[in-house]
Amino acid sequence: MTASVTLDGVSHAFGTFHALRDITLEVGAGEYVALLGPSGCGKTTLLSVLGGFVMPDAGGVRIGGVDMTRVPPARRPTTTMFQDYALFPHMSLRDNVAFGLRMAGMGRTERHRRADAKLDLVGLRADGAKRPHELSGGQRQRVALARALAIEPDVLLLDEPLGALDLKLRRAMQDELKAIQRLVGTTFIHVTHDQEEAMAIADRIVVMNAGRIEDEGPPARVYRMPASLFAADFMGEMNHIPATVSATGAETPLGTLPAAGLVPGPATVCIRPEALCQPGGALSLGEAEVRDATFFGTHIRAHLSPKAAPEMVLVAHLSPGEVPSPGAVVSLTLSAEALCIFEGDSA
Amino acid sequence: MRALPWLYLALAFGFIYLPVGTLVLFSFQDSTLPVPPFDGPSLRWYREVLADDDVTGALLHSLAVAIGASAIAVLLGFLAANGLARHALPGSALIRILLIAPLMVSYLIVGLGLLIVLTRMGLGLSLVTAGIGHVVINLPLAFAILYASMGAQHENAERAARDLGAGESQVLCLVTAPMLAPAIAAAFFLSVTLSWDEFIIAFLLTRFDITLPVEIWSMLRSGLSPRLNAIGSVVFLVSVALVILFELTVLRRRRR
Repeated sequence: MTASVTLDGVSHAFGTFHALRDITLEVGAGEYVALLGPSGCGKTTLLSVLGGFVMPDAGGVRIGGVDMTRVPPARRPTTTMFQDYALFPHMSLRDNVAFGLRMAGMGRTERHRRADAKLDLVGLRADGAKRPHELSGGQRQRVALARALAIEPDVLLLDEPLGALDLKLRRAMQDELKAIQRLVGTTFIHVTHDQEEAMAIADRIVVMNAGRIEDEGPPARVYRMPASLFAADFMGEMNHIPATVSATGAETPLGTLPAAGLVPGPATVCIRPEALCQPGGALSLGEAEVRDATFFGTHIRAHLSPKAAPEMVLVAHLSPGEVPSPGAVVSLTLSAEALCIFEGDSA
Repeated sequence: MRALPWLYLALAFGFIYLPVGTLVLFSFQDSTLPVPPFDGPSLRWYREVLADDDVTGALLHSLAVAIGASAIAVLLGFLAANGLARHALPGSALIRILLIAPLMVSYLIVGLGLLIVLTRMGLGLSLVTAGIGHVVINLPLAFAILYASMGAQHENAERAARDLGAGESQVLCLVTAPMLAPAIAAAFFLSVTLSWDEFIIAFLLTRFDITLPVEIWSMLRSGLSPRLNAIGSVVFLVSVALVILFELTVLRRRRR
């Protein structure tokens, strides 16, 4: 019903394009992991390697401690949920869900009973006789999930499962996926390019870029203290402030910030928009003038020009209240934990 | 001005259907010559034709050859299309061209070639050899139709089936073929209609048991008769029935 997954130095190239470079990753049994990255980062290839659709050029895949690197998809304890659902259009929902059990040689009565139970799990018990074309996108999604879970895989691989749904349905399905994963306890590995989806759904996020893992960890940690500039930018909007690290700290146009343990040289200071104007913060970057501000409901999004460096533009999310008029002055205070400094020049 | 497009339409359809219409009309002729003036209607010739064992036998032979040859052509075409659409094969472009090329070859050449080969091999001419000839001409068509419909949109369903434990033959029978059912039916109906009234190959490759077009040809040698019109009308009726069947089954399903 559930198993751990270990990737050990997996590399794969399509011709001259290196889709995966030396990927090493541990996923615990029953964990919900999101593979997050832009298109072309290798996340879908990694999923295909796990599902057995791509044999990696180098490295090994172990599922539940058993080497699966060269085992075909049908004989792996994994099932894949495809982006376009890949339902069988000529079969009823019940037959779709029961397909894997039929392939395993299970009798009709028993497999229909189990298929109905899985349809019940996704809230479609009454629709077992329908065909896929009679369903909405969200319902097809559920059928695909039921079909994948019907053969009780140890690991479920989800390839951008919510990509084709509208935003509202997406958020609802995220909650549902999470709840079902908790219920069945199967290890879920979920590919997405939507960082909000990854944060909403996963126990752990793996940020990928150009075939490598940039960062991995719990969503809050990856968001607040990303391991790389790429991960910092991909997880959400970020203010970049160029800096130079010296013995005294990170010298920026807005003042010197603490930078213990960093190599002297050029660096980039990163601050999230919502962390920039926190009253009572320990650090101060002086005052800034509001250029413009827009009301967004949950926050006010403002462009700020620091007094110390008027040509610089920072984005801040202020707490909702009075919308400041252009020219108003705010103080740039933030807590010490809200600061990330990366070595190297800012992009 | 409004009348002009309608006139054009009437002329176009007249051009296409006048010969067939004349043929059908004079099949109801009462006298022994299918020429004006029309003195029917009479079912005399239909009665005569349906009582003629040679004609009804040829009609059944034609149906058997058409259905058998089409079924084989569609099966082979399906397997070839699946192989070429789903697998990276060496020289696949060349294989595709070689599969479609017989479409360009005249039926006369196909028939002559087969006649030479079959007689050299010592195989007696029969309905089976005519069927072989019809498989040769229908296979490229069936392949082209099925290959074109084997889009990538079905590929994930096949991957899903494999992922759920299906073997290759199960994928083909339970997923690929049912998903392609409209294209398979289209290829089959088209093959049947082509094979049904094909003359030259059937003429060259049959001997004692003959198909309907060959029977018509041998009757033609004794001159025009409303009997031939009646047979022609029956042939036409069968073709129309096939087209309507095709429309009702395949095209209606596709529109859904």
